[in-house]
Amino acid sequence: MNVDALLFALVAGAGIVTALGALMAREVVHTIMWIAVFFITLALTYFLLLAAFLGVLQLAVYAGAVTILLLFAVMVVRKRIFSREAAIGIGAPAVALTFLVAYLMLEMATSVYTSEPGQGYSVADLSRNLFTLNGAWVLALGLVMLSALVGAIYLAHESRGKAIRSEEGA
Amino acid sequence: MIPLDELLGFSGVLFAIGIFGVLTRRNFILLLVSIEIIMNAAILNFIAFAAYSPSGSPSGQSIAVILIGLAATEIAVGLAIVLALNRIIGSVNVAQAMELKL
Repeated sequence: MNVDALLFALVAGAGIVTALGALMAREVVHTIMWIAVFFITLALTYFLLLAAFLGVLQLAVYAGAVTILLLFAVMVVRKRIFSREAAIGIGAPAVALTFLVAYLMLEMATSVYTSEPGQGYSVADLSRNLFTLNGAWVLALGLVMLSALVGAIYLAHESRGKAIRSEEGA
Repeated sequence: MIPLDELLGFSGVLFAIGIFGVLTRRNFILLLVSIEIIMNAAILNFIAFAAYSPSGSPSGQSIAVILIGLAATEIAVGLAIVLALNRIIGSVNVAQAMELKL
């Protein structure tokens, strides 16, 4: 077993444990702590795959921004910050479906055609590909982000809840 | 380099864990976290296939960059919905959000 495979086994094990920990934690704040570690394990996986730029992006966007955004949302919904969710109803169908999905995925993973691994890409290669071949997708992402910004402001606008409440009261 | 089937297996297990979270949790924030786990499993697949690309093209990594942006956008809108739900029905439990008229 070479060093890469050993490191990957450690990182993947930590990733699965932290993902499960995030979903099994009883308090929402603990979930967010677990998910932050999960994002870091994925970033380490990207580094092992010689995708350093994506690893840095994963650390900045997920482990940084998304985690803080989730924490911020929990802080705003303050009265529930340390509240425990009602007992998790782990239904048998959900568990069965989870195992079925995992089994099918593992079956497919072992039957995939494998070519030789590359030597990784430089950031220059990646940006050339991103802004030429996939330039249309970058523009589409910009439009999606703009509409999401407008939508988020509209949803979170304070007068909106008041208007609905006064409608209901009338 | 890590074998491709191990990477895809890792991604598949993460996807299944995300599905499990979506099916069992009722807190909207935890639902968003589960969806993020599913999205990350998909992004890992793209990066794994890019590393083993026979043509030596980094298109998989390009799509992964776009997906990371998309997932961050999705969580921002999701959290705006959380705030609206909390203000209007006073709870972030999706079981209590009986109608979508926010």
